[in-house]
Amino acid sequence: MGRNLRLENLTKQFGTLVAVDHVNLEIEEGEFICFLGPSGCGKTTILRMITGFETVTGGKIIFDGKVINNLIPQKREFGIVFQSYALFPNMTVEENIAFGLKVRKMPKKAIVERVDQMLHLIGLRDWRNLYPAQLSGGQQQRVALVRALAPNPQVLLLDEPLSALDAKIRVRLRAEVKRLQQELKKTMIYVTHDQEEALSIADRVVVMEVGQFRQVGKPIDIYKYPASSFVADFVGTSNFFKGYRTGDRVNTGKRDFKVAQSGSISKEEVFLAIRPEKIEVFKFGEPPGHLEPSNLISGRIDVVTFLGAAVRLVINTDGDEVISDVIEKDFEQRQLKQGDETLLYFPPEAFIVYPAKEGS
Amino acid sequence: MNQTEVSKDYSISTPLSSDRWMTGITMGFLLAVLTFFMLYPVYDICRLSFYKEGVFTLKNYVAYFNNPRIFRSLTNSVYVSMVTMVITTVLAFFFAYGLTRTTIGGKGIFYTISTFPLIAPSIIQGLALILLFGRNGLVTRYFLQTDWNIYGATGIVVAECLYCFPNALFILYTTLSAVDTRLDEAAQSLGASALKTFYKVTLPSAKYGIASAAALVFNLTITDFGVPVVIGGNYNVLATEIYQQVIGMQRFDLGATISVILLIPSVGAFLLNYYLTKKSYALISGQARPFLQPSRPFKKWAFTIYCWIPCTFILIVFASVFLGSFVKTWPYDFSLTLKHYDFPSLGGHAPLWTNFWTYVLKGEWQSLIAYKYAPIWNSLWISILVAIGGASLTLLTGYIVEKKRPKGDQVLYTLSVLPAAIPGTVMGLGYILAFNKPYFFIYGTFWIIIINIIICNFTLGVLASIANLKQIDKSIEEAAVSLGANPVTTFTRVVFPLTKAAFFSNMAFFFMRSMTTISAVIFLISARVKLAAIEIIFLDIDGRTASANAMCTIIIVIVVGMLAVMRLITGKAGLRGMSASN
Repeated sequence: MGRNLRLENLTKQFGTLVAVDHVNLEIEEGEFICFLGPSGCGKTTILRMITGFETVTGGKIIFDGKVINNLIPQKREFGIVFQSYALFPNMTVEENIAFGLKVRKMPKKAIVERVDQMLHLIGLRDWRNLYPAQLSGGQQQRVALVRALAPNPQVLLLDEPLSALDAKIRVRLRAEVKRLQQELKKTMIYVTHDQEEALSIADRVVVMEVGQFRQVGKPIDIYKYPASSFVADFVGTSNFFKGYRTGDRVNTGKRDFKVAQSGSISKEEVFLAIRPEKIEVFKFGEPPGHLEPSNLISGRIDVVTFLGAAVRLVINTDGDEVISDVIEKDFEQRQLKQGDETLLYFPPEAFIVYPAKEGS
Repeated sequence: MNQTEVSKDYSISTPLSSDRWMTGITMGFLLAVLTFFMLYPVYDICRLSFYKEGVFTLKNYVAYFNNPRIFRSLTNSVYVSMVTMVITTVLAFFFAYGLTRTTIGGKGIFYTISTFPLIAPSIIQGLALILLFGRNGLVTRYFLQTDWNIYGATGIVVAECLYCFPNALFILYTTLSAVDTRLDEAAQSLGASALKTFYKVTLPSAKYGIASAAALVFNLTITDFGVPVVIGGNYNVLATEIYQQVIGMQRFDLGATISVILLIPSVGAFLLNYYLTKKSYALISGQARPFLQPSRPFKKWAFTIYCWIPCTFILIVFASVFLGSFVKTWPYDFSLTLKHYDFPSLGGHAPLWTNFWTYVLKGEWQSLIAYKYAPIWNSLWISILVAIGGASLTLLTGYIVEKKRPKGDQVLYTLSVLPAAIPGTVMGLGYILAFNKPYFFIYGTFWIIIINIIICNFTLGVLASIANLKQIDKSIEEAAVSLGANPVTTFTRVVFPLTKAAFFSNMAFFFMRSMTTISAVIFLISARVKLAAIEIIFLDIDGRTASANAMCTIIIVIVVGMLAVMRLITGKAGLRGMSASN
């Protein structure tokens, strides 16, 4: 067993508000974990408890076999990257990176070497003598990243590190963080509200809502098999239908879908979720014959949004809006446009069925 | 879900947090200082005024209200303070309006001149008015040859207006430059006349600022000692009456009683000012303001002329005191001389300084530099220590209150803003009562003066520090901590460098206040420890007005010199936000 970080029944209360509610998690050494959730879900609070800036109300934080609940932040040896970069404005890039090494009383020569190594890691060698204010946001965050890494922390914690940057740089830096993590094999805990960021970067994603973990798993599993309708809705986009399931059929009132996940013979209330890219769109009157007829629905294209590689269609089917993503090539081949009458096909195996009364 | 089984025996890490106890110790120290050097003296005053031989009594108050001469000091104080409040607020409001809402030229000059009264003791206004309108005034005696003179209520009001002007201006300037001018433009675009816009939009939106400025002026005037003592004549006010009773008649009980009576309006005005300032800042919008429309020529001329009026007065004050110190016999013989700078023997003595110069110099120069200039050296030396000590303590207090927020931080905050509410004369008397005891060894030394000046000016230092610390992102400190820095390193390497500019400007403020303050320290000087600003009063009382002018000029030169040095160090100067109280 490596130096694992374990959260045990971890709880945080602010007055009567329960910000983090008895959560449990084991993070392996070298793992890249991402806490994902809407704002106010408690993800940053967990991170701040791990860093030691927030006290623990209940439960334990265990690192390398020791309870560290009451250990002061300086003694935890965890690196932190902040959303606001938090570089010391009165120090140069070099001095910023060297700060953690100096307070550890590292020999001068070793500091110079380590700083060099760090600057090399992010390709900012020529910037060593500049002050933070002279750097762009992306550059500042890269410096902040290696500043946190320089003292060789046991765990690196990143608190929405890319949220303050613009979209393009965010994607580029995201890849850089991932590369660093793989190179250094450092345990990283990353907090974000951006599901795309979480899915693309993490080994495992923890989806949170109101202080609780809703699902913990690999990105692909979370996307393909969301454990609840909240996860299905929050991670990616989903179309939802409410209905009653009997066997392998779900009746939504207006329609009667065939689903792959069959239930018991008795009637039960369920939610159906389906990802936009799973829905197939045909021009009216040209459906291939082999499709399940009860899962074919007609509708009119109301809105066409060009997303780049895909095209998002909002289709009105008998008063309900259905979102469907069609890859750009198909969209052009089928000559779809706004106002067209179409046929939508919902493959039975693409439906995920949740009981309407959800536990977690 | 990834559930982990509950752990059993893990060693618990040590919960000792050096940060926590360091914050605790620092806060305990600051609380002790403020309690002992601020609350305790005030408590002693209250005790003395209510107790006689250990029994609670209102005898002192009965005596106070039954003595018409002393009772008049209350009505007099309130009267001059009200009149000063109205005049100063109105004058400063339109001045601030001219600087913020019109496109007149020379705004920088106007602003700079209007801050001049801050660099001199408040007494300078009195001295200048006596030079111009006194019994031997340039205007009254020389030009008009009238027997009328300015001593009394008129003199106090005029002098206080000049003294309070920059303090009111700071508040109104901030208010008016923060209120969104687009509101005015919107009103005008809707067809409101300029006058109507002013009454219906501009004035209401600045109401808290106006009221807050008025309360501050009232507080400054009712607590001031320097002006009424030189120009009041027989017109006694509370602040001077305390001094009269205590130093003149040794009636400590009556002095304490008058102090308590003075505390009521001054604390009231302070609380009002504090409350209104908060309200006023809440109205300030962070939005960028559009370009100011060019004012019409008439408006421009009117405001330019208007702004020159207070500026001219201020310039005349400084010019006449400056000139008065160099001419032979004002206003009869204007030939230049340096003889007023050869102060009559003040019997002063300054540690180091006197020994050094008696060793180096001989004869007349020795007595001049080594002894006669000793109060100046004392003031300078004390001011340097006050600057360092005051800026450090207030930064530390601001840091604890704003960043550390331990339990009880509100108590510390309240105690540290309170000194501005307490009049200097009251604080001075309180120090005598509380500390004039044989076992209190620093009494009668200049250390007690240093502590007193720091405490009296604590409020502004703390408020400035807090405002500055608010601008530092919390994450920056956390970053330092997470990188392994201990509390001391975090403070010295990260927090302090980021507040350096504010620290230096606080130092300048404390230095300035220390060089020019009179009201509190007049009770604390002794035969051995004399101060330059206090000597102005004694010289004036001795009838050596010209030498008083000379002493005042020296103080101004020292303060200006210090500001210049500060400018060189920090790259920027500015008296903004340094509005003072008592």
